[in-house]
Amino acid sequence: MPVSDPNLGFLAKFLAAQLTPSRLKLWRRLFFGVLAGIAVLNVVVHNHHPHFGWDAKPLFWPAFGLIIGLALVLVVKKIIQPLIKKSEDYYGDL
Amino acid sequence: MATSSFFHPSLPFLMMAAILPFLPGNRRWKWLLLLPPLAAIYAAFNNQPGDHLTLSWLGRTLQLGRVTALSTVFAQVFAIMSLAGLIYSLHVNDKAQHVAALLYVAGGFGCLCAGDYLTLFVFWELMSLGSTFLIMLNRTRESVLAAFRYFLYHIIGGLFLLAGILLRYHEVTQSFEFGAIPITGATLADWLILLGFSVNAAVVPLHAWLPDAYPRGTVTGSVFMCAYTTKTAVFVLAVAFSGWNILAIAGTVMAVYGVVFASMENNARRILSYHIVSQVGYMVAGIGVGTAMTINGASAHAYAHILYKGLLFMGAGAVLYAAGTQKLDELGGLAARLPWVMVFYMVAALSISGAPLFNGFISKTMTIAGAAEAGRTYVALGLELAAVGTFISVGLKLPYFAFWGGKPTDLRRELRPIPANMYAGMALLAILCFVQGVCPSILYRYLPDQAAVALYHPWTAWNVIQASALLGFSGLAFYFLRKVIAPHKALNLDFDLFYRLIGRAVLFFVSRPLAFFDGLWTNVWDRVGLRILKSFGVLTSIFDRKAIDGVVDGSAHGVRLLGRLGALVQNGRLQQYLGLAVILALAIFVVVWYR
Repeated sequence: MPVSDPNLGFLAKFLAAQLTPSRLKLWRRLFFGVLAGIAVLNVVVHNHHPHFGWDAKPLFWPAFGLIIGLALVLVVKKIIQPLIKKSEDYYGDL
Repeated sequence: MATSSFFHPSLPFLMMAAILPFLPGNRRWKWLLLLPPLAAIYAAFNNQPGDHLTLSWLGRTLQLGRVTALSTVFAQVFAIMSLAGLIYSLHVNDKAQHVAALLYVAGGFGCLCAGDYLTLFVFWELMSLGSTFLIMLNRTRESVLAAFRYFLYHIIGGLFLLAGILLRYHEVTQSFEFGAIPITGATLADWLILLGFSVNAAVVPLHAWLPDAYPRGTVTGSVFMCAYTTKTAVFVLAVAFSGWNILAIAGTVMAVYGVVFASMENNARRILSYHIVSQVGYMVAGIGVGTAMTINGASAHAYAHILYKGLLFMGAGAVLYAAGTQKLDELGGLAARLPWVMVFYMVAALSISGAPLFNGFISKTMTIAGAAEAGRTYVALGLELAAVGTFISVGLKLPYFAFWGGKPTDLRRELRPIPANMYAGMALLAILCFVQGVCPSILYRYLPDQAAVALYHPWTAWNVIQASALLGFSGLAFYFLRKVIAPHKALNLDFDLFYRLIGRAVLFFVSRPLAFFDGLWTNVWDRVGLRILKSFGVLTSIFDRKAIDGVVDGSAHGVRLLGRLGALVQNGRLQQYLGLAVILALAIFVVVWYR
């Protein structure tokens, strides 16, 4: 079976080059820029067919994504997992 | 078997499974594996709706070839997935794995085409057997144990289904006809059937077999399993239980539950397994709401889901194949070393998250909009909440910790080279995920209710902004909490704790009280029964010597030979029993089919 070497491709070189601090900073700025753009569009473009009523309000969906995302991760990792966490071989299957 | 307008898609898979073990040992037989999927694709796109292949057996009518608008959608994606899956597994030299996959896929197609409960049940069990082997053939202790649990669980689920089918026949309809069951006047039989279906649909709390077994299957086997078992269950639920409100609630619970568990998992394929529970929740909810739009949404989502979930399992499988581990805390820094795996994985991750340009965007939104329009606000809201969690765990957490993780490019790890066919399988599904996302009509034209399709347009400015806002800002939440969500080695208790407790209780009952009575009975038998038998034996042996010996001397020899054969077969190895059962069942099936 022929095998392709992932080390030689342009994509690999590009990806490896993105890990310098300056490039990471650039990506971070790009990410925040895109978020700001989405937020602005969310104010300008209106939802004519709201599903729940309050989802027609500007910035509802950005807030929903952020708040639910934060709450979910915190509840899961800080409250639920400590309650049900056991050692990896708890059942003796490994 | 073919009629003028129908070709059963299971047939080429069954035939290939039957001849594969006898093909000579050079590797050229592999290319033949691509023939059944191609035949199935032909069948799925050309079979005409209607009832085909009706045969009578023991006075009952069996319907092996029912084609409906709904089954056509599922058959198409089943066929495409079988092609991608077999391309992905072409490098595997273990014929047993291919036979298991072929039987498993044949079972899936058989369920889609079944017009009666008996046919459905036979193919349903064939799927259970095939998938058990796909786990067991990973050949580690962990996998064999998981396969036993998986098999036990599905046998019990199958028994619920069988009990429902027989009870329904006996007390309600006097027929095995498989069709819609109205919720008004539903009997115990219908609830038992629903229970049997729900086991395979991984409805919470009956779901724990899935994250237990799928991460332990072979790299290629889990790619098949993630596509067929749950989606076959979705299909049969859509046929029989459309509009049952309990499914709308169950589906919403599944969508959220799967996301919660996926968010704390460390094992890549277990994260994806919990996301099967979550994504199948969207479909089950759509079926439960039961409007034309949500049934369309459930079908479209099953279609899209099979493609992107297959691709996700392929990507995670490729990482496992190359790096030798699927635990996120042991991975990281692989982006530049497995760049195309990362790209294909990300296509699937964006698809499952419902990002514009990918197929989840055109299917997920349909179910949510349909639920909202039907006035089920809590369903729509629950599904949106699950969408946030999906993007955070599959779209960000898994790839971040596998490919980056804040670590430099991992140059020390020795990576096993990934065969080109695995890349080819991933590329095929990635292209399909993208093309369907950009041109929804490719998928929408096959949805069961075309009138409802015309009313829904995914590519509106608002839908794109809404999806981007939801994903972008849940991405921001991940960015803030990436240290909190960092995965660690742990086992998170799930409902399988209860299954194991029940299993142990049964084992205790069998090994203590039952074994005690058995021992008591053996003693009594030894002292009383055997003595009577022995004296009777002495009498008959005299009779035997004097009268019978001359007449039937040969028969004793024959009986002894048969006994030896029986003893050979009864070696206590479950996998060989299962194999024998499949061969026997297939032989009976062939006899019935060609009678």
